[in-house]
Amino acid sequence: MSFYFVSIGGTGAKVMESLTHLCIAGLLPDNERLYITAIDPDVGNGNLERTSTALNNFNVFQNFSVGNDTLLFKNKISIVRPFPWNPTGHDKTLDDLIEFYHHSNTPVGKLYEVLYTKKERETTLNEGFRGHPSIGAAVLAKKFDDGEKFSTLTAQIEKTIGEGESVKIFLAGSVFGGTGAAGLPTIARLLKNNLGDYSDRISIGGVLILPYFSFTPTDKFDELFARSENFLPNTKAALKYYSEKENLFDATYFIGDSVMTPVGEFSVGSANQRNEAHIVELYAALAAADFYARPLHAPKIFKYICHHERDKFSWSDFPASAERFVQFARFIFAYVHLIKPVLNDLISGEAKVYKYPWFVDFLDGVDLTAPDVVNFNFYAEAFAAWLKQIETLDGREIFLINPAMFESNPARLVDKKLFAALDGNKTKLTIHEIFYRLTEPFKFDSTVKGFGKFLRRLYDTCADN
Amino acid sequence: MNRTTRTIIKIFLIAAVTVGCVALAYYLGSNIAGHKLATASDNMNYSRWLEKYFALTRAAGLLNGLCALGWFLSARFLFEVDEAAGAGKRIFWAALMMASLAISLGVAHFYAPILGIKLNGIIFGLFAIIFTGLGYWLLTIFTTPLAFKYTPLGARPILKRNYKAD
Repeated sequence: MSFYFVSIGGTGAKVMESLTHLCIAGLLPDNERLYITAIDPDVGNGNLERTSTALNNFNVFQNFSVGNDTLLFKNKISIVRPFPWNPTGHDKTLDDLIEFYHHSNTPVGKLYEVLYTKKERETTLNEGFRGHPSIGAAVLAKKFDDGEKFSTLTAQIEKTIGEGESVKIFLAGSVFGGTGAAGLPTIARLLKNNLGDYSDRISIGGVLILPYFSFTPTDKFDELFARSENFLPNTKAALKYYSEKENLFDATYFIGDSVMTPVGEFSVGSANQRNEAHIVELYAALAAADFYARPLHAPKIFKYICHHERDKFSWSDFPASAERFVQFARFIFAYVHLIKPVLNDLISGEAKVYKYPWFVDFLDGVDLTAPDVVNFNFYAEAFAAWLKQIETLDGREIFLINPAMFESNPARLVDKKLFAALDGNKTKLTIHEIFYRLTEPFKFDSTVKGFGKFLRRLYDTCADN
Repeated sequence: MNRTTRTIIKIFLIAAVTVGCVALAYYLGSNIAGHKLATASDNMNYSRWLEKYFALTRAAGLLNGLCALGWFLSARFLFEVDEAAGAGKRIFWAALMMASLAISLGVAHFYAPILGIKLNGIIFGLFAIIFTGLGYWLLTIFTTPLAFKYTPLGARPILKRNYKAD
């Protein structure tokens, strides 16, 4: 079995970010490889950039030799390129993309002029479809007709199937914006059509993200852009579409929030569109994990997930193994707070080696400036920052990791005593206990080595047992 | 072996090595210089000198054992490493080693006149080597809690050579 994940648009990219963290934390089922691809005309948008960074970090350090009998890094990731795929190209308008100039003064051209306003037709699409799914639908349909992108994605899927494996494909995007709303049904249909010969070996799932944030555009923007007041009408229209048309997904997840979290600063798109992570995206990633865990041709089921208190989220609302997630979070905090500063000091010659028995035992002779180690350092801080964003959400009280853990950036602990009660439950796992455990005897098989051996040991010491 | 068992074993090891050091200092001291020193001491025969010398080695050995035990107990139960800077504690270990040396030489220097026996340089050398060298330095290399196991000087080359992670 192989898992595929297709991120569509900015919200899809944010789900992909959460899924990447879940994957690295070992919360995906089995040891299957996860193939990831992204479709976004706004290739420079900050959300996608952040996700791509985490993905590329993991792509570099995922081959650490941590052994096969651990959850840590068990699901490897492959990025299906071009990543992300930009269906619009650079500085193109809708008129350019559908080659309107060939069709003007024809009946089709006149119909097109009726369906799209002049502004919709002449706005460059570098920042995406600007909350207008009608633009996205036209562009994607045209591009897919031309066979772009899907030649690589479907070829990869066919190759996987050709190797005798089954494939589970999961699509994620919003139904209230532009790219996701246009892309979800279009891409699902295209996959169904292109891979129709392998229908007994393929299952397609999707998460349709309903509105969960809002923003206030500033007056200076006299141009085409998404407006949060349109989110609900857009959603209503999309859901009507899904209820009336054939459901293309073998499993469909709807996830949204009744509280619209305000995003910090409005941006049409591009690098400035860097929204904070949200619990809805984490749930959407967990939906993907749930889909991957289901049998290939499981009967369609309808589940309703609710949480215990209206405005609060806690572990009792978490539809996955809290224990695994907390162990991974503890591992990252221990690394960033206790290990990383030492490694930096040792590299710069400011620390004495004898003080750190775990360094002598595991890392003496290991190149700490190697790309995989450096990428893990970046990733560890990115995970902590992501978790902090989820925990400190405006309008929602999230009680997964103690928010006081995030007083200092990125995961340095101001009050070290908090570490033992990272998830609100008192344990004996103090920072000192971790330091001590790292020095105790243990046994791994011979495949565990190098920096991976140290990370594996650190991860194991972070288990509450 | 769990941590509690390891702690108990190490405490017993400290006690055993301390007793061994006392025995060694007594045996070597009495055989190498005992007769000569007993003769040199006022109102002293060999068996009486041995009795007094044994009291001296017990006192020096016990106080040195307390240094080794103090280091072990501090590193095991007192020192907390909740920040990278909190690791190591070599100054504390070195201070105890100086205390051990001061005890080895000081007990011999001040307690021997009280007991009424004379000592010579060989005994001072033996006390320094046996109590401080063996009873503190070497003993702490093998009994220091794992979180500080490379803190005693020389521990790294000795322990690392025998270390097998898997």
